[in-house]
Amino acid sequence: MVPATVEPAATAGRHRPSAAGWGLRGVVWAALAYLVLVFPLGRPATTVILYTTAVCYGIVALSLNVLLGYVGQISLGHQAFVGVGAFTSAYVVTEQGQSFWVGVLAAAAIGGGQALVLGGVSLRVRGLYFALITLSYGLVAQDNIFQIERLTGGGAGQPAPKPQGFETEWRYYYLCVGFLAVVLYLDWRMMRSKSGRALLALRENPRVAATFGINVRLATLFAFVVSGVFAGLGGALIAHNDTFVSPDPWNFNLALVFVIMTVVGGLRSRPGLVIGGAFFALLPYLIEQIPGFDSLLEAIPAPRDLSPLIAPLVIGPLLLIVNLIRFPGGIGQQLRPITRWLAGHRFDLHDRGLKEVQITDVRA
Amino acid sequence: MSVLEAHDLSIRFGGVQANLDVSIAVGELEIVGVIGPNGAGKTTLFNMITGFYTPDSGRIVYRDTEITGMAVHERAALGLARTFQNVGLVKGATVRDNLVTAQYLQADYGTLSGMLGSRHSRAGERQLRARADTLADMLGLGDLLDTQVAGLPYGTLKRVEIATVLATDPEVLLLDEPSSGMGPEEAHQLGDTLLTLRDEFELSIVMIEHHVPLVVRVCDYVYCLDFGQMLTHGLPHDVRSHPQVVAAYLGEDPEPEVLALEAQLESLVETD
Repeated sequence: MVPATVEPAATAGRHRPSAAGWGLRGVVWAALAYLVLVFPLGRPATTVILYTTAVCYGIVALSLNVLLGYVGQISLGHQAFVGVGAFTSAYVVTEQGQSFWVGVLAAAAIGGGQALVLGGVSLRVRGLYFALITLSYGLVAQDNIFQIERLTGGGAGQPAPKPQGFETEWRYYYLCVGFLAVVLYLDWRMMRSKSGRALLALRENPRVAATFGINVRLATLFAFVVSGVFAGLGGALIAHNDTFVSPDPWNFNLALVFVIMTVVGGLRSRPGLVIGGAFFALLPYLIEQIPGFDSLLEAIPAPRDLSPLIAPLVIGPLLLIVNLIRFPGGIGQQLRPITRWLAGHRFDLHDRGLKEVQITDVRA
Repeated sequence: MSVLEAHDLSIRFGGVQANLDVSIAVGELEIVGVIGPNGAGKTTLFNMITGFYTPDSGRIVYRDTEITGMAVHERAALGLARTFQNVGLVKGATVRDNLVTAQYLQADYGTLSGMLGSRHSRAGERQLRARADTLADMLGLGDLLDTQVAGLPYGTLKRVEIATVLATDPEVLLLDEPSSGMGPEEAHQLGDTLLTLRDEFELSIVMIEHHVPLVVRVCDYVYCLDFGQMLTHGLPHDVRSHPQVVAAYLGEDPEPEVLALEAQLESLVETD
């Protein structure tokens, strides 16, 4: 055969950091661990609830990423997927008197089940048409399914108490961090197994994937179900964090925020997705911290009952534009030199990753 | 005894009869060439055999099983593998990832087991990677395992693609213009590679190919298509010297009427 005329990849041979290198990485890791695990301990309960929401949004971003990032299909009804999880868990715990754990399991199962049914029907189409179907499902869910009083408590809502042993905001926060870790692990392992690779292959080229023996429709459906399970889980955790679930928040605005935070966070980048989710969860709160923001609100003749999502919905699209034009890989891609370094690789400021995200990724 | 047979395949796209009653047979360990001018319907034939198109009529039989209506991935599972004219690879991934992805059906662990990262699935992954390394070495791609596919030169891509289809563990290999983008020297070496691979992997090969010296050297039998129909078939030397094949490739002498028309057109352009 012809000798290879191409330069081998520069990263051949794994980099072994020195002891000092590991020490420095250890310091950064410790700082991150402090921020996630210790810092919330000293914060007031109302703030910790926000942090927990941030963690849950991380799970939602990972859920949406399975569809958007791995198979390139866009869901505009993800608020319904997450909402179904929230209502399921609240129903199972409050109406059925089961434990939180049963509620969470049921939420994940129903979350996957709805994806199976909806995907089984709708994944015959792709791209924009699939997005339209998920959009319709989301609207039907928010206006109809979530209003069924016997299941969701209707306008009055449904209590969703925190689980036994995790009643305090702090303990519940750690529980959610644990769930996030589990989702991250599953996602990581999936992408290092045949199922994950099948998704990446069929996103880029369904014809080639099929010749590799991959059942493209079944694999896409699988991704949809995984996304649904993660979404259901995230929803259940959000419900019990708020200790109450009502139909109001699960509207299309939220679906938009979910999509934006996933893309801005960075498709196919686990750290980016978690950060993106957390950032958008905290955005309404962060905005209020800006000095003079209140008086600014007073000054503009806007209706007093602004959507709580007004900040993410104004800032999000702006970030999205910057994102798509300048940094298609989102936050994750920008952080990649750091995350790679933390994982023990050489620091390379120009490392933007092999699977560089392209705008054409989202084929909607 | 044939491994793969296509009987009277026909398919029409709008007003174009892309294939009309095309039949081919591929014997065990045979290398069969499919030649013909551009637009003759060669790739269409491949697309019907591999399941991307369903023929309007005709049958495809693989080892005594009729596969005419089967899905692409089901045919792949039976051992039918193909390459694409414009290179069928996951371009965003590395050479190694492509070789491992192509072994989708060889992975012996379940989806859930893989997601949970079980010991069994990790062992399975190691096997897939080891086989990817072996295949890459065989095709002289060992140094490129960690290189992203997008950006590799065309000739190299063609070799990577052959490595990936071998990774699917095929029995019949359908190659769509394997030598395109290669110089005469490279094409000659490709011939050697194909003969070696045929023997080592016990493959039957069908190849669409324009490079006539390569076809004559490696093929046991050749089919020539023109305008969607079988022009002729036979041993490579016979097909090459067949007057109709020569005509189809080089074009016949234009008819007198056509010449007259052309002259008329030219005069029109001049008077303008």
